[in-house]
Amino acid sequence: MTVASSARTDSATAADAAVAGPSRRPSRRTSRRVEAVGAWTLCAPYVVLLLIAGIVPIGYAFATALQTPPTPLNPAVGFGGLKSFETVVTDFRFLRTFGNIASVLVIWLPIMMIGIVGLALLVHASPGRFGNVMRFVYYLPGALAGVANFVLWVYLLNPSSSPIRAFWSALGLTDIKSVVVSGNNLSFILAAMLFFQGVGTWIVIVNGGLNGIDEAVLEAAEIDGAGPWRVAWDVKLPIIRPWIGYAALMNLAYGFQLFLEPQLLDQVASNALPDQYSPSQLGYAFAFSNYNFPAAAAMSLILLAITLGIGLIIVFKSGLFSEETH
Amino acid sequence: MKTTDIKSRTRTTLGLVGASLAVLIASACGGGGGGGLPGQAGASAPAQTDSGGAITVWVDPPRVPAAEAFKKANPDIETTINQIDGTVGSKALSQQFAQFNQAKQGWPDAIFFPSNDDIAWASGAQINYAADLTSQVPDLIKGYDPAVLAPCNIDGKIRCLRNDAAPDVFWYNQKFFSANGYTPPKTWEEYGTLAVKIAAEHPGKVSAFLGDAYAPDRYLWASGCPTNQRLSETSVMINLDDAKCQRAKKLVGEMVTGKAASNLGIFDADAAKAGKDLVMSPGALWWGDYLFNQTWKIDAGTMTATTPLTWQGESQPSTGNEGGGLWGVSSHITGKQLENTLKFATFVVSDPRWQVELSTGLPAYGPVQDDWIAKQKASKYFADNDATFAAFKQAATYVPGDHAYTLYNTGGIWTETVAKDLVAGKSFDEAWTTFGSELNNQAKSQGYEVKTTP
Repeated sequence: MTVASSARTDSATAADAAVAGPSRRPSRRTSRRVEAVGAWTLCAPYVVLLLIAGIVPIGYAFATALQTPPTPLNPAVGFGGLKSFETVVTDFRFLRTFGNIASVLVIWLPIMMIGIVGLALLVHASPGRFGNVMRFVYYLPGALAGVANFVLWVYLLNPSSSPIRAFWSALGLTDIKSVVVSGNNLSFILAAMLFFQGVGTWIVIVNGGLNGIDEAVLEAAEIDGAGPWRVAWDVKLPIIRPWIGYAALMNLAYGFQLFLEPQLLDQVASNALPDQYSPSQLGYAFAFSNYNFPAAAAMSLILLAITLGIGLIIVFKSGLFSEETH
Repeated sequence: MKTTDIKSRTRTTLGLVGASLAVLIASACGGGGGGGLPGQAGASAPAQTDSGGAITVWVDPPRVPAAEAFKKANPDIETTINQIDGTVGSKALSQQFAQFNQAKQGWPDAIFFPSNDDIAWASGAQINYAADLTSQVPDLIKGYDPAVLAPCNIDGKIRCLRNDAAPDVFWYNQKFFSANGYTPPKTWEEYGTLAVKIAAEHPGKVSAFLGDAYAPDRYLWASGCPTNQRLSETSVMINLDDAKCQRAKKLVGEMVTGKAASNLGIFDADAAKAGKDLVMSPGALWWGDYLFNQTWKIDAGTMTATTPLTWQGESQPSTGNEGGGLWGVSSHITGKQLENTLKFATFVVSDPRWQVELSTGLPAYGPVQDDWIAKQKASKYFADNDATFAAFKQAATYVPGDHAYTLYNTGGIWTETVAKDLVAGKSFDEAWTTFGSELNNQAKSQGYEVKTTP
């Protein structure tokens, strides 16, 4: 530090002191207060939404689950303790719905994760226009969200109108009901619907993670003699591990909450599918077919506990939030 | 110091969250009948509303002309028509009503129930939608044969009005029978044997449809099989081992094995193609005009109905009942709105402008039945008009009466088990076992005590 700069610093400090008052402590407090206000301003909308759409419904569900349901003989409602949870776990459909969803997840999740990561790596390894075009092409099926996606699939699954009717014919399937209910077709159909609906969006997200890798790291790997496969496997994959974990977490949670697809497929299959195929549908049935809202609330809390538990395991195992600790 | 602050704030936050939860839990524990759970009879009932006259009616697609005819005949009554999913056996409607009860609004003023089973939840203590019409339209009720109105008579109160009488008659393709020298069967057993014989001699010909929610009514109800025998509001008799169930099982099993039965349902999109190969089947009398003529476009002079079949060893025919449709009126309305809704209900069950001119089924309301038959006869669609309409008028007397509509939907359970398993290539025995266990499970999950004897 030079004498001039030292003198300038001293005068600036004196000026600050003159403006701020007898000491610097109030200035720090003001600064911290501004920071706190900023932080709360940023957080407030989320906290409000979390309360409205998360904490309060969970609390309400918990309160509802502790009640007894009205029945034709005993319409009065009272405190039922954990009886609703017992009703749910001993229901004849409880394990069956988890078995159904497991049969879909076993097929879909590995294919989904390999598809997301593999295609994202391919897009990232193809810079320029070709890579951009492919990223857009992969994204297209995901742009057909919800019911539009479902209508497309009904068209594909109906042998009388499907462009792949030769495939259905080779399997001996001549109508949409037989396509949906034969063998273990439903698990594969649901897995395919979920895959095409979601893979494009996740490729874009994971590709974002790949774009964040420092070019110098990749160049260093290449200088050390690593080929494209080695770079992808030993450099890119470890760096984007949190992104992969995040994709696995969100897809698993989505899969567990499967509702729309089996519900609508049942309608096009002339009600030949069970109305309670997935755990979410079972919760819905408790509420709106059995008129047992406490059991529906208990079912939703059980689902919450399961998905939350799986989520925590994935978060800690994948180091999803590890960057925040550095 | 900082650590202490954070810990203190965390404790405060946790305390607040805990206190909120405690309040919620305390409110849950405070129950006792005044709670706000949807659909519960203990909750305060919403006040009846009066729109001043405007009404909203919900109808399935075949009943849209009925509502349109009412609108045309009563231009002074503001009527909104909502078309609903008409899938028989679907649970979508009961789920919507549970939501209306939760919101304490949204109910239609009048409705056509696509499944007769719907009246079980619509009149049950939890949903309690269907108004007691006993004293609202007494003259109209007098026009019904009590046997035809039986599905609406719940614990001595008339909770709905029947649209059309829908007993099963026995349908056969007279052209096919004459051309091939076959004689129509008289008993259920002869029907099974002939069905297998025809399937062997004419592969592809169909003698039964098993994939729709009416199939158990067609075969199990016709046999008197106790799948829906109501013993009290909370107990039912279900016993698929009963001899009456076993004879029906044997009959259907033989037709499945002999490739005489289609796995499709009569309402399936692909059924029209298979329908042209139908040679015989028990089926509701509305099959004639609605299914054969309007939907499957089978040529006039082909199909004919005859008296329902008799089980061997019994003296008179026994037949099931497929729908017939029930109209319900909301219990949540009063005043001018109720008055206009009752006008609507009266019109759709008894006015010739719908029941004679447009309806495809024999009116349930007695005074207009002969006019409907006269009009149908004039169209000369059936191969033997006289035999067909004679069978129509007799059939209702042959329906076993100990079959109730319940909160578990037998037709829906059939489509989810038997129809599904047969399409998936499983044996009928296997499908039957699944059907039996699901029937018991669903009944119990609805709160019924299931008994195997009366």
